[in-house]
Amino acid sequence: MSSTPSGGGAPEPPAVELRGITKRFPGVVANHDIDITVAPGTVHAIVGENGAGKSTLMKTLYGMHKPDEGQIHVKGQEVRFGSPSDAIRHGIGMVHQHFMLADNFTVLENVVLGAERRFGIGSRARTKIRELSDQYGLGVDPDRLMEDLGVGERQRVEILKVLYRGAQTIILDEPTAVLVPQEVDELFDNLRELKREGLTVIFISHKLDEVLSVADEITVIRRGTTVATADPGTTTARELATLMVGGELPVPELRESTVTDHVVLSLEGVTVHSSEGRAVVDGIGLDIRRGEIVGIAGVEGNGQSELIEAIMGMRPLVSGRLTLEGQDISDWSTLRIREAGVGYIPEDRHRHGVLLESPLWENRILGHQTKEPSVRGPWIDRAGARADSERIVAEYDVRTPDIDVIADALSGGNQQKFIIGREMSGSPRFLVAAHPTRGVDVGAQAAIWEQLREARAAGLAVLLISADLDELIGMSDTLHVILRGRLVAQADPTTVTPEQLGSAMTGAGLGGDDASTEGEGGAHE
Amino acid sequence: MSRLPRPNMTVPAPGALAVAAVLGTALTVVLDMALLWWVALVIGVAVAFALVVWSGPLVSDERRAGAGGTREEGTVLHETLVVPTALVLSVLAGLLTAWFLDLSLVEPVAAALGALLGSVLAFVLFHRLSAMLALSFAAVLAAGILAVVVTAAVLHFSGIPPLATFERMLEYGSRPDSLVRIVNDGTTYYLAAVAVAIGFKMKLFNIGVDGQYRLAALLAAAVGGYIMLPPVLSQIVIVVTAVAVGGMWAGIAGYLKVARGVSEVISTIMLNSIATGITAYLLSTDRLAVEISTNNIGTPPMPESSWVPGIPATFLGSDQKIFGFVFLAVAVGIGYWVMLNRTRFGFELRATGQSQTAAEASGVNVKKMVFLSMLFSGMVAGLVGLPQLLGSSHYYALDFPTGIGFIGIAIALLGRNHPVGIVFASLFWAFLSQASGILPFDGIPQEIAVISQATIVLTVVVVYEVVHRWGRRYQQQQIGKQLGTTAGKDPQTVPSAPEGTTAEGGDDTAPESDGKRGGEAQ
Repeated sequence: MSSTPSGGGAPEPPAVELRGITKRFPGVVANHDIDITVAPGTVHAIVGENGAGKSTLMKTLYGMHKPDEGQIHVKGQEVRFGSPSDAIRHGIGMVHQHFMLADNFTVLENVVLGAERRFGIGSRARTKIRELSDQYGLGVDPDRLMEDLGVGERQRVEILKVLYRGAQTIILDEPTAVLVPQEVDELFDNLRELKREGLTVIFISHKLDEVLSVADEITVIRRGTTVATADPGTTTARELATLMVGGELPVPELRESTVTDHVVLSLEGVTVHSSEGRAVVDGIGLDIRRGEIVGIAGVEGNGQSELIEAIMGMRPLVSGRLTLEGQDISDWSTLRIREAGVGYIPEDRHRHGVLLESPLWENRILGHQTKEPSVRGPWIDRAGARADSERIVAEYDVRTPDIDVIADALSGGNQQKFIIGREMSGSPRFLVAAHPTRGVDVGAQAAIWEQLREARAAGLAVLLISADLDELIGMSDTLHVILRGRLVAQADPTTVTPEQLGSAMTGAGLGGDDASTEGEGGAHE
Repeated sequence: MSRLPRPNMTVPAPGALAVAAVLGTALTVVLDMALLWWVALVIGVAVAFALVVWSGPLVSDERRAGAGGTREEGTVLHETLVVPTALVLSVLAGLLTAWFLDLSLVEPVAAALGALLGSVLAFVLFHRLSAMLALSFAAVLAAGILAVVVTAAVLHFSGIPPLATFERMLEYGSRPDSLVRIVNDGTTYYLAAVAVAIGFKMKLFNIGVDGQYRLAALLAAAVGGYIMLPPVLSQIVIVVTAVAVGGMWAGIAGYLKVARGVSEVISTIMLNSIATGITAYLLSTDRLAVEISTNNIGTPPMPESSWVPGIPATFLGSDQKIFGFVFLAVAVGIGYWVMLNRTRFGFELRATGQSQTAAEASGVNVKKMVFLSMLFSGMVAGLVGLPQLLGSSHYYALDFPTGIGFIGIAIALLGRNHPVGIVFASLFWAFLSQASGILPFDGIPQEIAVISQATIVLTVVVVYEVVHRWGRRYQQQQIGKQLGTTAGKDPQTVPSAPEGTTAEGGDDTAPESDGKRGGEAQ
């Protein structure tokens, strides 16, 4: 990380330089002390886990919000962006993960939309688009209708849109997430072409093998800050993974086994379809016993969310059976499942876990609206709900002035602690814990682990889903790997390493019988 | 105020309250002998308020926490916003009470009672008004002023003197007969607005209140006109009919939304048209209607045993009658509040309105909630026509008031869906409509009132939303400051070393320091 002062007389100043960028949201720090130097004419990758703060950082660079501290330098000059149009004026463009294109428009119309003043909307614009397309090898025909184009072509139109607006530096936010492998290769060819023409590309991803194959330099972000800069020539995927998930962070381990042979929840051949009829959870069989934490490892989007939703009764089973303490709960409603003693820590707490605009004590009722102490018959028991909220705040160390504060005013970690306290109340038999420590600060993380351990010792059966491999290895009694909706491997948490687990998650290694071609490079280098 | 010397002692809250109330009232009574009653009252309440502010720090602690959960006294927002708002509100409340009581009592007594209420409010508001609530009041106040300014500008540019016009409206609108009309119209508007608000709380837009109440009123009138029943039973049957018809008509939209995913906006608009068609079809002399006068047809007039007697408004100085159904509106309002805040159903309704995903994950049957809230909305809508029907016209004819459903939407917006807010909004709306009735006599277009109404809805919605957002951010900051766990300190405790070697240290120290700061804040 070179930190030459701006205007230091270097022959070619960095295309973009971020120094000491800190961005706070109420209660959390999304980014702090970010230092990144992007050399011109390179592909610079920024890697980090989901929630590490990559998107926040790119929004800062693209002028979608202002940093609280720190400076942005473009070509050696300090800039302040009030809006994306300021960023565009300084030659920074962004291709979002979700395309922003109008289907019933042609390529030409989509490209000129909002930039009509550059080259008009007629033949001059068409000529310019052809020129750009040829220059960078994008192969885009300005007169085709957008709805006829495939995903890869649409992405190239998005890139063209950015180039058309005169961008010298292009930010690509998780561009490969929507592409199939062949399209990924094509995209990478395009990126190399852009680089050859002197443009700078900032490439955001969490797929390490892709990053290693295309980037010239890699910056790793973890927990909101830059932790390392790596050279793809000398770094392995394993080292990057360690930097990303913070392998050295000590994870509290389970002390002694409390597993009994009393099965609480049993899954038999559970299959769930997506709305298009594809099997997203495919014949999963699993037993979770009293006092056992069963961990599920997997790259996000391999059926974890759907599996949880199926267990919670929010998604119908296509086939298979769910049995809770000997009772078939396959077609029970969410309410009935919750009433039967199943707690739920949702993966997205803002969408599924809290009412942001309601006070804490009302959030105590949420999900427990048929149970004591919050409710008596059809009536809300305010006194009961308030008293129990006070108990949760005290027992789970929720940092809040009092229980009349709206949930939105608390930091993510404190919201999460409150949710855990709520879900643990009424002595549940089974707990679904999805990413229980995501977006939570270090102190709260340790507290949450401790609470899970105590509940386990008291006989709770837990299904733990997490993207944090250390958490999974440290907290689980049994560990399964999920890939494309199937459990492909079982690992022994006492011996497995995050690297082995990581390779199993991509379908290679650990005796995975479903080895696939993609992702293998990352694991076996 | 705060620089004045204070004795070093604490006063129990009831004591301080009593002192303020006595001072305010006594001062008003004394000044009333020399000055105009309202001047006396303003001075009296203001002095009482000053006393409350001065004695504020002496009053024991537990009454002084803001309801928003933050300790607000002494903060900038509290001093610049909450205190002035509390002052304005207490003076206004005192003036309104005194003016209202003056209609039936002698002036000095009315002024004294007004001052008493104003002084008590001064104490309560100063100590209990939370910043968030004060923000809402201030927002409504600001929106009101903005609306008045816009209306004045329109008048001015039309060549009409604004002040004289406002004065005329105030004068006419506060006549006893006008007051009765305002209460009566307000009753109807209130029911319509509550019907809309039930939907709003769920983020459902029931535009169909209009069709629902017209159809319900027609069928209820027909039942009352054709079926002879003993008193009480007759009224009950009529009300039940109206509720059932309104509920059914809205239930169709609810069912379509749940079963087929049809937007309730579209379906209720269509159902409005269909209701218009059905009423036109039924209201013919071949079917339900009879000739009422030479150029009016309607359902047969109900026998007097089916009427709901009015309340003589002699205490207002009017010989007209207030609809007996004003009590029904009050009951509906209380029922709405209880349902929303005290029942499981209301909780689930609000939860679904706030976050459908969270409600679903918590086991709320969202489809059932959509259907039921649509149904309830329609049932309340069914009541809208009844005060008019049973209290005054006694038959449903071609001239039965229409369009109240749409007024209800505006009033629900204006009253922020709050059962008490809607009371003020509907009375205000009725006041504007009624007071503008005098304008044509002065050659001023009556549409001025419509402009005011439209402006105030727009400004309230916009201003309130802006203020609400700002207030939420402010509250978050306040809490962050109090807890000392805001982002500000995190960069120091969370390791920023490149390789994460100090992470262990961060793990240990963070909770400890948090604990200390948290403890201090408590």
